[in-house]
Amino acid sequence: MGLLDVLRGKFVDPTHYPSVHEGGDIITTRLDAVVKWGRKSSVWPMPFGTACCAIEFMAFTASHYDVARFGSEVLRFSPRQADLMFVAGTIPDKLAPVLKTIYDQMPEPKWVVSMGVCASSGGFYRSYHVMQGIDEIVPVDVYVPGCPPSPESLLMAIMKIQERIQRSQQAKEPQGKDRVGAAGDGAIDRRARRAAWRKDDAERTSQGLPPRGVLTLRVMPEEAKDTEPHHG
Amino acid sequence: MASAVDTPAAPAGATSAAVRVLRERFGDRLRAVAEFRGDLAITVDRSAWVEAARALREDPELDFKLFLDLCGVDYLDKEDRAERFEVALHAYSVSTKHHVRLKVALPESDPTVDTLCGVYKGANWFEREAWDLYGIVFRGHPNLTRILTHDDFVGHPMRKDYPTAKRHVLKKSKEWLLKVPEGSENLIVNIGPSHPAMHGTFRIQALMDGETIEDAEAEIGYMHRNFEKMAESRTYWQVIPYTDRLNYCSSFMNGHGWALAVEKLLGVPAPPRAEAIRVILSEFSRIMDHLVAVSTNVVDLGAITPFFVVFRAREDIYELLDACCGARLTVSYVRIGGLAADVPDDFEALCRKALASIREVTKQAEKLLTRNPIFANRFRDIGVLGADDALAYGWVGPCLRGSGVAYDIRKDHPYSGYEQYDFDVPIGTVGDCYDRYLVRIEEIYQSLRIIEQALGKLPKGPIITDDKKVALPPKSEVYSNIEALMNHFKLVYEGILPPPGEVYGYTEAANGELGFYIVSDGAKHPWRVKVRPPCFNIYQAYPQMIKGGFLADAVAIIGGLNVVAGELDR
Repeated sequence: MGLLDVLRGKFVDPTHYPSVHEGGDIITTRLDAVVKWGRKSSVWPMPFGTACCAIEFMAFTASHYDVARFGSEVLRFSPRQADLMFVAGTIPDKLAPVLKTIYDQMPEPKWVVSMGVCASSGGFYRSYHVMQGIDEIVPVDVYVPGCPPSPESLLMAIMKIQERIQRSQQAKEPQGKDRVGAAGDGAIDRRARRAAWRKDDAERTSQGLPPRGVLTLRVMPEEAKDTEPHHG
Repeated sequence: MASAVDTPAAPAGATSAAVRVLRERFGDRLRAVAEFRGDLAITVDRSAWVEAARALREDPELDFKLFLDLCGVDYLDKEDRAERFEVALHAYSVSTKHHVRLKVALPESDPTVDTLCGVYKGANWFEREAWDLYGIVFRGHPNLTRILTHDDFVGHPMRKDYPTAKRHVLKKSKEWLLKVPEGSENLIVNIGPSHPAMHGTFRIQALMDGETIEDAEAEIGYMHRNFEKMAESRTYWQVIPYTDRLNYCSSFMNGHGWALAVEKLLGVPAPPRAEAIRVILSEFSRIMDHLVAVSTNVVDLGAITPFFVVFRAREDIYELLDACCGARLTVSYVRIGGLAADVPDDFEALCRKALASIREVTKQAEKLLTRNPIFANRFRDIGVLGADDALAYGWVGPCLRGSGVAYDIRKDHPYSGYEQYDFDVPIGTVGDCYDRYLVRIEEIYQSLRIIEQALGKLPKGPIITDDKKVALPPKSEVYSNIEALMNHFKLVYEGILPPPGEVYGYTEAANGELGFYIVSDGAKHPWRVKVRPPCFNIYQAYPQMIKGGFLADAVAIIGGLNVVAGELDR
C-alpha cells in the first residue's frame, strides 16, 4: 500500500499491511506478553552472597557456565537496581535484619532464589545463631537444594524464575513465618519442638482450624478450570 | 616419613626453658606442667596470668612473640576438675620454633581474670569472644562486648548447659558502631555487611574527615554459624563436612588440618600414599584460594578481566576434585587416618591438565597486573604492617610473610611429608598490599613445584590406616568376614574413641596457620574444639590499618588480606 496506489485509484484494503501480512518485519502481540518476555530475558540478579554458596555463585557467573546466555549477567550489588535476589549462603540471626532490609529495598516486581540448604532450611547448622530458612522473613520463589548447589542447578533456577515471570507468579508471603520455632523460641530440641507442635495443633483444633501443614485436596469443577494461561 | 604424630617433638631444652623461667619467677604459682603428644601445657595461678604471658613474650630466651589463640573451655560436671572454666593461650616463638599453651583455671562463681590486651594486641577480640561464648570476664579489657552473637542474645551459648539450638531473634541491627565527636563535621560511612567490596559479610564503619579515615570500627559475627558448638555433639568423622565450610575457598585444606589434629590426638599416622595425595590436593586448594584472592581483589579495583581469566583454571581444579570425591567445592574427602577412597585412574592426567592451565592463567594474570602502573599505584605502600605488629596481632600465612617474617609451617614443622619436597618460601620487604600480592603469586608457582614433585613419586599402597579402631574395614571384607563386620559395627556405633587429653594440631592453610585445639575426655564426641582461624587475627588488625588512609585504599586492603567469613566467624 502506498500513496501512489491511492492516487491511481487502486483499491486499497485499509486492514491489510504488507509488512505484517506478507511476511514483513513487524509482529503483533499482546502488550503484557511482550513485557513479560522482556522481563524474563533480562533479569538483573543481586547476589546476597554470604558463604560457600557465594563461591559457586561466582563460578555460575564466570567464564565456564556463563549466565549471560540467559540474559542475567548484569549483577547488581544495589538492591534498588535488581529484580531477582540470590540468597547464597547461611543466614545467621545477626544477618536476618540486613536481609529483610535489602529485600524491602528491591523494587517490585521482585523474585527470590534461596540457594543451598542453609538458606532454604538452615542446613546442617541447627544451632543457636542460624536462621532455619530465609522464608521465615522473606518470600521465596525457588529453592535450590545442594550444599552448595552446582552451577547447573542455578541455571535451572534461573529458568524456573523465567517460567514464573512468564506466568506472572510471584511469592508474596514468607512461607515459613508461621513455622513453629520461627520466632526463635521453639527449636530448642526435638522433644520441646514436638510439644510446641502439639500445643499449636490443639489451639487450632479448638478454633475449628485444621492443623498446620496438612494438605487438603479438592476436585475442581470442570467449568471452573482455567484453560487460558495466567495473565497476572 | 614424618607424620602428625612425630612432628611436634619439642626438644627438651626449650620446653624446660619455658618451665624453668616461669618456675623461677612464680614459684608455686605455677600450678602444673603437662606434656601430651609433644604439646607443652603450663597452668598458672590466676594472679600470675598476665605476668606469665608477659614473661613468655618478652624473655629473650623464650621469645613467644607470635600470638596464636586464646579461648575458653567449660568443664561442667567434670570430677577431675576443681574449677569449671579454663582459659587457654597459645603462642609461638618464630626464633626457637616452639609452641606453648598457657592455661588458667577459673571458678564458676567468679570467672574473672586480668586481660592480656597489654601483652598481645591480638588478644582483644579473642577475649571478647571468650566473654561472648563463655561469660568469662576479662578485667581491664577496653571493650568487653559481644562479638560473634548479636546484641539481643541472652546467655553464653558455648557453655555446656546452653542448648545447642536455642535461638534468639534479632529484629534490628546495631546502627552505629562509632559516634561523631561533639562539634565535629565529620561523616560516618558504613560499609557492609552486604557490600560488593566486602567479599562476604563483614562490616566496617569509618569516621571520615574529607577523604581520610579518622577512625574505624569493625563488626563481625554475621557468619557465626556455630562450628564449635556443633562439633561438640558430633563424632570425629562427622566434623569433617563442617570443616569444609570454614574456609570454603580451599575446603580440602581444612579437612586435612582436622584429620592431622585428630591423628595427632590418636597417635595414628596416615599411610604415605594418603599423605602424598593430601599434599597434592592441599596445594591445588591453596592455588585455588590464592587465585580467588587475587582476582576478586582486583575486581574491587575495577579490573574484571583477571577474574574471568583465572576462573578457567579453577574449573580444571574443580574437575579434578569432582573426579576424586564427587563434589566440587565441599569435598569431605579426608578421613581420620587417610582418605575416603583412592584417586581415579586418570588422576595424574587430570592433575597435569590442571597444572598446565594454572601455569597459563597465572602467567596471563601476572602479565595483566604485576607491572600494570594503575594496579601498582593502587597497591604500593598501602596497608603497611610491620613485622612486630603482625606478630603481636597473630598474623600468619601470606600476610605475615608479606610483612617479612619467614614462617611457613610446611618448612618449620613439616607435616604430611612436606620435608621431601623442594620449595621456597617467598617473603615481602615492605609489608604492603603489593607485597602480599607478590607473595601469593609466587606461592602459586611454588605450589606447582610441590605438586609436580609429589606426582612424580606418588607412592603405592593403602590410602587409609589399617588401625581397626580408627578406619572402617573395606566393604568387601565387611560382607565376607565376621571380624570385619564386627569392627565395622563397633566403629560406626561407638565412633573413634581417642585417649583423654588435649592437643593443638596446626597446618599451613591458604590464609596461614589453621589450628585445631581439641580437648578430649575419651568419649566419642570431642569435649571442646577450638578453631584457630587465621582470618580472625588478620581482620582484627584491619580497622587499625586503614586509619589515616583513604576510603578507596580500605577497599584495596581488605581484598588483599583475603578474609573469609566462614573462617572468621566460624
